[in-house]
Amino acid sequence: MKDILRLDIFEKNELLIVVALIFGLLVFATLLFFIIGKINPHAKLDEVKSRTRSWWVMASVFIGATIFNSNISYIAIAFLSFVAFREIYSLLGFRESDRRAIFWAYISIPIQYYLAYINWYGAFIIFIPVVMFLFLPLRLVLKGDTVGITKSMGSLQWILMLTVFGISHMAYLLSLPDLNGFSAGGRGLLLFLVFLTEINDVMQFTWGKLLGKHKIIPKVSPNKTWEGFLGGIICTTIIGYFLAFLTPLSTYQVLFVSFMIAFVGFAGDVVMSSVKRDIGVKDMGSTIPGHGGILDRIDSLAYTAPVFFHLVYYLAY
Amino acid sequence: MKKLTLQFIYSFLLKWFLKVIVGVKIDSAAFLLNEKQFIIVANHNSHLDTMTLLASVPRTLVHKIKPVAAADHFNKNKLQGMLSNFFVNTLLIPRKRDKKNPENDPINKMLKALDEGYSLILFPEGSRGAPEIEQPLKPGIGFVLSQRPDIKYVPAYMKGMGKAMPKGDNLIVPFSSSLVYGKPTKIQSQKISDILAQIENDFIDLKNK
Repeated sequence: MKDILRLDIFEKNELLIVVALIFGLLVFATLLFFIIGKINPHAKLDEVKSRTRSWWVMASVFIGATIFNSNISYIAIAFLSFVAFREIYSLLGFRESDRRAIFWAYISIPIQYYLAYINWYGAFIIFIPVVMFLFLPLRLVLKGDTVGITKSMGSLQWILMLTVFGISHMAYLLSLPDLNGFSAGGRGLLLFLVFLTEINDVMQFTWGKLLGKHKIIPKVSPNKTWEGFLGGIICTTIIGYFLAFLTPLSTYQVLFVSFMIAFVGFAGDVVMSSVKRDIGVKDMGSTIPGHGGILDRIDSLAYTAPVFFHLVYYLAY
Repeated sequence: MKKLTLQFIYSFLLKWFLKVIVGVKIDSAAFLLNEKQFIIVANHNSHLDTMTLLASVPRTLVHKIKPVAAADHFNKNKLQGMLSNFFVNTLLIPRKRDKKNPENDPINKMLKALDEGYSLILFPEGSRGAPEIEQPLKPGIGFVLSQRPDIKYVPAYMKGMGKAMPKGDNLIVPFSSSLVYGKPTKIQSQKISDILAQIENDFIDLKNK
């Protein structure tokens, strides 16, 4: 039965269906908040409204790049890494003597994405964790300023891992070889990853607003509750089950992978929250002019992308 | 030719380079179209400052604005002077006042450019300073404004430029930075120290904006 359905409806149109679904959801959310706003003008909708607006932009750009040409997707994702790296580097207060090493860290972004593009897995997987990890401290040392150098070495590598190495796994999904009987391919996997990660954010937010009572880590993120966390995980796992046609995984595998996306998505979110708390900005988007707030959008992706990639890589490739 | 070159460089090339690569958030300067003539007064930390200001102004104004720069720095030889004149449209002035030779006096040079109808970009801090640290303002802007009190000045404040490209280092390392404009304002008093204090206050307001 499932096989017939898959053949009839989904075989050629998986991506289109999900795209239609995403835009349908966005239309639904926009209308919903508009109507709630009309009925109850006092409802605090500014945050969800601006979130929805940025989803429109993100979804259009992302889906446009993905559907039309996957070469553009590599560049688009690399640019995402670049902007995220610049944003967090600008906030962390590096020393002026770090600038040369930072420059090389910027240069590593196109290299990392090129390695993903030419599908050289061995180099892709060691370039930042090994090559840059060893090289950047040396570049810092050559400058000769040792006061505070350990902090610079640590923070620089951490930003690079988070915003470049982690996010670049999204691009590598597009380079994965074709599998027999799996037509959605890398684009399907990428769509699955991004959609589930974002729906998990939305679900955790919504369940937290609806039922949230028991806080998980009030010192880091006062809005995160057990109710939101569990509601998010359950919903995301269920939605992942229905989107299984975007992946080459079996039912149990899809359930497990979706659960993991939900779980580490939450982890990425709170890790970034704690960093923001440390720097003293609550919302990177609004407090400091010049910071577009991209990190607020991709904090969970930085965690889900590598985890999802390696799970799928292990299970199916 | 020069007009088209300047428009292409600033309103297209540099504007996108600064926005997309360097990460400068550029405040809209469309309000300048309503002003006949003005002096943009900005803080100064980087060579990127002039580029950013010129990239931010409306395309049709680019060739009518002259950034004021120190002659000893940008006119070390003939070629450099010509290049900065053609590509940056600079007004080169000496750093010291010259009472004996009014032709060569920096204030007179600025007044002459204003009388020719140009608008100016002026960095009253003088030389580029350390990132995010204000230096005392030099009185030149006061002399110019007190002699042309009908011309409005426009305060502009830039953050992060000195981190993207600091003094003494010509490597650009992208850093999220920003440019904010204040409102075009006339001076309230003819006294030099009052004018400087007024501008300093504008800078502080913009910095905290």
